[in-house]
Amino acid sequence: MAKILVIADIKQGVLKGSTAELLSKAKAIGAETAVVAVGSNIETLASELANAGSDTQYIADDASLELFSAGPYASCIVDAANQFGANLIWFGFSEGGKACAPRVAAQLEAACATEITDVTIDGDQITVTRPAIANKVMQKVKINTERIVAVVRAGAFEADESTSGTENVVKLSAPAADLKAVIKELVSDASGEIDLADADIVISVGRGAKDQAGVDLVKDLANDLAAGFGSSRAMVDGGFMAHNKQVGQTGKIVAPSLYMAVGISGAIQHLAGMTGSKTILAINKDPEAPIFNVADYGIVGDLFEVVPILKEEIKKIRG
Amino acid sequence: MKILATAKKVVDVELTIRVDGGAIVEDGLQYVINAWDENAVEASVQLKENNGAQTTLVSIGGTDNTDMIRKCYAMGIDDGIHIDDPALEKADSFVFANVLQKVYENGEYDLVITGKQAQDTDSGQTGIILAENLGIACVSNVISIDVIDDANIKVSRLGDAGTEILEVALPAVVTVSDSINEPRLPAMRGIMMAKKKKIQTMDLAGLGTSYEDVGGSALKSEVAEYMESETRQAGQKFEGDAAEITAKVVDLLANEAKVL
Ligand SMILES: Cc1cc2nc3c(=O)[nH]c(=O)nc-3n(C[C@H](O)[C@H](O)[C@H](O)COP(=O)(O)OP(=O)(O)OC[C@H]3O[C@@H](n4cnc5c(N)ncnc54)[C@H](O)[C@@H]3O)c2cc1C
Ligand SMILES: Nc1ncnc2c1ncn2[C@@H]1O[C@H](COP(=O)(O)O)[C@@H](O)[C@H]1O
Repeated sequence: MAKILVIADIKQGVLKGSTAELLSKAKAIGAETAVVAVGSNIETLASELANAGSDTQYIADDASLELFSAGPYASCIVDAANQFGANLIWFGFSEGGKACAPRVAAQLEAACATEITDVTIDGDQITVTRPAIANKVMQKVKINTERIVAVVRAGAFEADESTSGTENVVKLSAPAADLKAVIKELVSDASGEIDLADADIVISVGRGAKDQAGVDLVKDLANDLAAGFGSSRAMVDGGFMAHNKQVGQTGKIVAPSLYMAVGISGAIQHLAGMTGSKTILAINKDPEAPIFNVADYGIVGDLFEVVPILKEEIKKIRG
Repeated sequence: MKILATAKKVVDVELTIRVDGGAIVEDGLQYVINAWDENAVEASVQLKENNGAQTTLVSIGGTDNTDMIRKCYAMGIDDGIHIDDPALEKADSFVFANVLQKVYENGEYDLVITGKQAQDTDSGQTGIILAENLGIACVSNVISIDVIDDANIKVSRLGDAGTEILEVALPAVVTVSDSINEPRLPAMRGIMMAKKKKIQTMDLAGLGTSYEDVGGSALKSEVAEYMESETRQAGQKFEGDAAEITAKVVDLLANEAKVL
């Protein structure tokens, strides 16, 4: 039977939804499941990790692990993978996951695949599906090793509420610090803002918003809806939006129920970050903008005119 | 400081890419330098200009890679190494990392700069695996590099909780994001000079290794099949009076899509 180790995605002490999604998928394909959690002051998450669908919880809880550092984090994961005898090791989509997965694979002499959207296990043969070439094609990748480390694409698997597990905590000892690459400082994201990865609605602003006034207009709408507020690269390059708000191939990959692209043309690198959304609304004054090719609903118009109306109309129905 | 930048020639992602019978239709495709590798080259050249460095570019790929290497010369790279061996056609990231390791070991480099990912594989693995195998420092998704002294650099990377600032002991591998810089357009003079420069071309034997040695006969993974991606269908697009169409769309979002 397949043994799947899921890496818990924990941000500021909170367990992120991707962990339950990956564990639900693991259970659905009949695998034995475990989770590994790395961080500081996270032991209290054990029962939540079990409820999310894991039957063993490997926990590395140490003050030295408070800030992400790829080397030590990878060591903990390798330790858990070996103790559990995992043959599939899954990260949810995150920058930390992308940094650790190849390290873990190299140490375990396992294969490595990023951005997988599906996996099939047929006897001993593991095959994964993933997009390539900026999402323009999909590829089926045959895994020739017994073990594979994978980063799962955001939104690929769904959490099943009925999935659960049993609490069985195994403590991991803290690894040595990485003296070759020492983290000195974390310039933290503006706190209190909604994490794009968790948001049920994400509203992103593009160059069409022109300046700060335009950005504020769209941000207002996002605040009204308690939506995540994202951006195209153009507005990050323009200095209007923080790097961590960029949606796309070099930014965040999001898959909310509703994604609104406001004044965004729809370059492939942007599309690569949001076409997994359930419903897409595009607002653009150019009827030929490529974003309309992927949008379920399109409003051809000037965002400075449309956004205030949109606010009012949504208020009417949401109260 | 000796810097090794890596660059792969990849299919131009802006073009239409078709799939037939499980394979990509080669007809009409064009190949260009991987966008993130252009950032790696620019970062290398900036370090050379600001701190003094010897810059070498390595590319693994077919004969048509030479024009890309010349482009990198024109941007300011000093030397170019071209590993051209038909055996590597199906290579995965681990094999490329092993080949790069051979190049690294022949050159005593202080810093390897790779792109964060190749646009054809979209894997983002090769540089990290290289560092892991060499047992040297690695920072991925880097948006700035500053030299502290001969043995240390300071880098920042985009992480999940914000921008992480690290001090890194050399030798090291960094993989760069496109946010790190705006690659320069080579000047005419550079382009003319680049034409005359020599490129060291070699196969695996010339590099002192073999396909088997770099793991080619035991690939960890292989692309079995390409498929069309599940493209979304364009939905309903509304033009006309802003108030009217916006109200209509809100109604559809609430009652048809049920997402409001
Ligand atoms: C290696 C690489 C990686 C990249 N990664 C990313 C990434 O992760 N994310 C990303 O977003 N981009 C990325 N890009 C950049 C991408 O190619 C585009 O340049 C970028 O997405 C464009 O942003 P935009 O749509 O806001 O701007 P533009 O393309 O300039 O589009 C602006 C749009 O606004 C519309 N508009 C103008 N005025 C109005 C108005 N008043 N009302 C309504 N609409 C209006 C215009 O019609 C136009 O369609 C990457 C590029 C490269 C090469
Ligand atoms: N064939 C190659 N030649 C030179 N560099 C490569 C090659 N393959 C990968 N790389 C480097 O490794 C990075 C990551 O590639 P990948 O792991 O395939 O996403 C690329 O941006 C390149 O800098």
